[in-house]
Amino acid sequence: MLKKYVALAAVVGAMAALAVATPSPAQERTVKITAFGAKSGVVRVFGINSEAALKAAAEVINTAGGVTLGDGTKAKFAIEFLDDRCNAEEGISVIRRIASTDAFIAVGPTCSNVAESLFGILQKKVGDTSDTGLQFPIIADVAAKGGLAKISEWSFRNVPSEFEMYKSLFAWLKTQHPNLKTIWGGVEKDFAHSNATFGVIKQQAEVNGFQILGQSEWLLADTTFSTQVREMKRANPEIVAISAHPFTTCGVLKEMERQGVKPKLLIGLTSSSSIETLQGCAKQAEGIIIPTSFAPVTPEAAKAAELVAKFGGSADLHSAAAYEIMFILKDVIEKQKIMARPDTVAADRVKMREGLAALKETNGLLGKIGRTADREAIKPFLYVHAKDGKWQVLFKPSS
Amino acid sequence: MDFLDLIDALQSLADGVLFGATYALLGIGFTLIFGVMHKINLSFAAASIGAAYASLLILAGVKAPPALVFLAAAGCGGVIGGLVYLIGFRFIPLANPLATLMSTVGLLLLIDEIIVHTTAGVPLNYPALFSDVIIRAGPFNLRGDLMFVFLLGCLCMVLLLMLLYRTRLGLATRAMSQQPVAAELCGISNTKVNILTFVTTGIVGGIAGAMIGAAIGMLSPLLSLPLTVKGLIVTVIGGLGSIPGAIIAGLLVGGLENLFQYWRGVSERDLYIMLLLFVFLVFRPGGLFAPATARD
Amino acid sequence: MDFYLGLIQIIGVHTLLGLSAYCVLHTGQVSLAQAGFFAVGAYVAGMLTVLAHWPIVPALLVAGVVAGSLACAVGFPALRVKGLMLVVATAAFGEAVRLFFFNFNYQLERGGFHIGPHGGEGFRQIRYFPEYGWSTLEVAAFIWVVVVLTMAALWWMDRSRAGAVLRAVGEDEVAAQSSGINVTVVKVSAMTVGGVIAGIGGGIFAHYTTHIEHIQFGIVLATFAVAYPILGGLSNVFGTLIAVIFIQGFLIEGLRFMGDWRNLLFGGLIVLAMNVRPRGLIDAGTITLVKRLVFRSKERASA
Repeated sequence: MLKKYVALAAVVGAMAALAVATPSPAQERTVKITAFGAKSGVVRVFGINSEAALKAAAEVINTAGGVTLGDGTKAKFAIEFLDDRCNAEEGISVIRRIASTDAFIAVGPTCSNVAESLFGILQKKVGDTSDTGLQFPIIADVAAKGGLAKISEWSFRNVPSEFEMYKSLFAWLKTQHPNLKTIWGGVEKDFAHSNATFGVIKQQAEVNGFQILGQSEWLLADTTFSTQVREMKRANPEIVAISAHPFTTCGVLKEMERQGVKPKLLIGLTSSSSIETLQGCAKQAEGIIIPTSFAPVTPEAAKAAELVAKFGGSADLHSAAAYEIMFILKDVIEKQKIMARPDTVAADRVKMREGLAALKETNGLLGKIGRTADREAIKPFLYVHAKDGKWQVLFKPSS
Repeated sequence: MDFLDLIDALQSLADGVLFGATYALLGIGFTLIFGVMHKINLSFAAASIGAAYASLLILAGVKAPPALVFLAAAGCGGVIGGLVYLIGFRFIPLANPLATLMSTVGLLLLIDEIIVHTTAGVPLNYPALFSDVIIRAGPFNLRGDLMFVFLLGCLCMVLLLMLLYRTRLGLATRAMSQQPVAAELCGISNTKVNILTFVTTGIVGGIAGAMIGAAIGMLSPLLSLPLTVKGLIVTVIGGLGSIPGAIIAGLLVGGLENLFQYWRGVSERDLYIMLLLFVFLVFRPGGLFAPATARD
Repeated sequence: MDFYLGLIQIIGVHTLLGLSAYCVLHTGQVSLAQAGFFAVGAYVAGMLTVLAHWPIVPALLVAGVVAGSLACAVGFPALRVKGLMLVVATAAFGEAVRLFFFNFNYQLERGGFHIGPHGGEGFRQIRYFPEYGWSTLEVAAFIWVVVVLTMAALWWMDRSRAGAVLRAVGEDEVAAQSSGINVTVVKVSAMTVGGVIAGIGGGIFAHYTTHIEHIQFGIVLATFAVAYPILGGLSNVFGTLIAVIFIQGFLIEGLRFMGDWRNLLFGGLIVLAMNVRPRGLIDAGTITLVKRLVFRSKERASA
């Protein structure tokens, strides 16, 4: 009996929450930008950071007067963030949900495997009437696996090109450390992003005349690395390049310390240049060099980092991309005269896509960002290294 | 070179066996609950990790020594164990094994998500004891912290066996696991025995969680699912309900894992482990230490 | 509208996954290998439409046959064991299948692009539906034709002698054996039917998500496959459907307005559901209970 009352109370509670959550009609015009990504599971921090960055950027734009719509009225940005749990099916549901509203663009997702599926359900070529894929523009802020945006002409990304980053990094290393020759690689094998990036690292190291002695492989949730590190120790490399996310990067670094493997240089994966690595193993990560597309080095970037922190996130290369996306969207909305009215949704989406596809260059926190024909970004970047438990800028290549 | 390879293989095996001590601790918890209630608690590994997280949260402000953190983890484990019983088992009829299987899956997801919500899923540093001790034996290195985990696992086993065979509670527990109805007729409270079993296994789980955290040096919600699988594997290989079996199986799984890592590399490592396990279970369904009266 | 049609697609495919475990559960066995068969179906069907340009229906049929044969082959050794041993043995097999696809590389070059399964990076661009001009509605309708056929077949089976035999084995193996039922044949048949259904479901899954990779077919999916029928109740096929709607429709999409709380509720409500209804959402006495509940809530509303 009691159980049924409890169940009933739960239902009533849910209804009440629904009533509270229903927004009251706004006084002035607002343009709601819906973003989505992972806000649960082990990647929750990405969603939190992205949401904070989008809100921070929206606040900056709104206090500066907002965005001018096609009919000349000013509107304020509002951000909504939906969770896809890093699951492809749920991501598809989320994007269909967003596409069934008046939204003319969506920002996301976090995970590359979700992006693969989402971009796959979009129409491949614009105007191809035989293709019944969804006609809705999406711009990705985090999903980092190389070459995703080429899947559909409706998909865009503002994600740094890891190819360019590691290309530049190895060329720089060659000039800085001419006496270092040998590299050992470490790769988190079962994660698409780290695995694909490792290919880039290996290729660029070879192009720049480094000798790859071999590689150690492990999985995303592995906990022991002794065998892998022993291979590394045996090879006695001068440089160790690790393409892995913070959890295993830290695990490997701790095992390297235990076995006394001390390479002269350590190189890490872009995604590990976050606060997580330092929380997990600041001591062992000391000195690791990572190319990243964000560090608070310019006044705008410092201000962005501060604002993102105010909204409960932390600014890193991923959330900085989300921050920049808001400004890109503002520019495109103004240039393409987006109306943002319920009756213009279809036209707005087409105009939005055209506007994004026509971009040759956008403003970024570290300088101008180039856009490629593949709808990808070429972002300015710099090298950071872990020093005294903080990420500090090591070198900024002039691009 | 061949000699070196042999040494490397042996070293890998040794490292794996030592790390297997953490699997053994988990296996003890799984097997104990199975021994008493003939039920599987799938949320056990997640609860263990949860207990380790909780110990970090409780002692967040103070700079506590590792031993104190471990004790806190054991305490939290006990509390969580009791809660798991109340939420996932107490109100579900015993005759329904599938229902508790499902409720513990729900608990596993719930505990995982609570961890993710309190920490944003970010890996946290976990303190270790004897982590700077490395015992050198000829060409081999043995990790001091893992030796400590191993000894702790053995200690847990001895204490649990003493608890089961030397105390009144143990007597009641065994009575309950053999003949629940008869035990209840003798005045043993079913609920009380079960809740004490869950608290006890929770404490073991808390210790296991802390040891896992210490051995890896970090905690992450990434761990709970793979550890659940490993814990189950250890339980069935060791033979359901057998505590010494769980310890040996834990070491065995750890060792084999590293050996295959050494031979076949990471992409194929788990593939062979899983096939081996499948074959083992099919042809030796009782596990290594199956009780003689296995007919259900 | 598209959103609801998309959700209906997801519910359809997960119902197939749940029904495949339902078959096996009927004989009293919990199998965590269903995600493995689902993966086999997904990869087979995807390769047939993308690499061999087959139409979808024969591709799905072949996917079902391949997954079913695998299930049959595995069933013989696996069903020697019971209970928790079987859970772990089948989980191990499912993981082995997943890891096989983690290592599986079979790419062809078409017009400068490499297509096909590419190891850990997955198998992208399985775009049969959009390329051949299927609308979301048509895809949803297609999926539900498959689901309804499957449910009808299982419903019929439940009520025929075959269903009685399955239940007999599930309730008491020894008694079934002593009344002349060949337990092994029954169990392996159930496993095979389950494999076929999972294979077809997996084939559809590959086509509406357009990208598959090994991580999707892990232990979590396998757990959900058995969770649906257990949560829904084993008395008939609608239990599985109700449970899928409960999880995919209510817990995942319906609770979206709860924001951050949604994921905490996900696990919590599953626990609650099992506490309140340990024999599943729909059990033998559900219909009378539904009547009673409706009656009582009317009373409450008027009070």
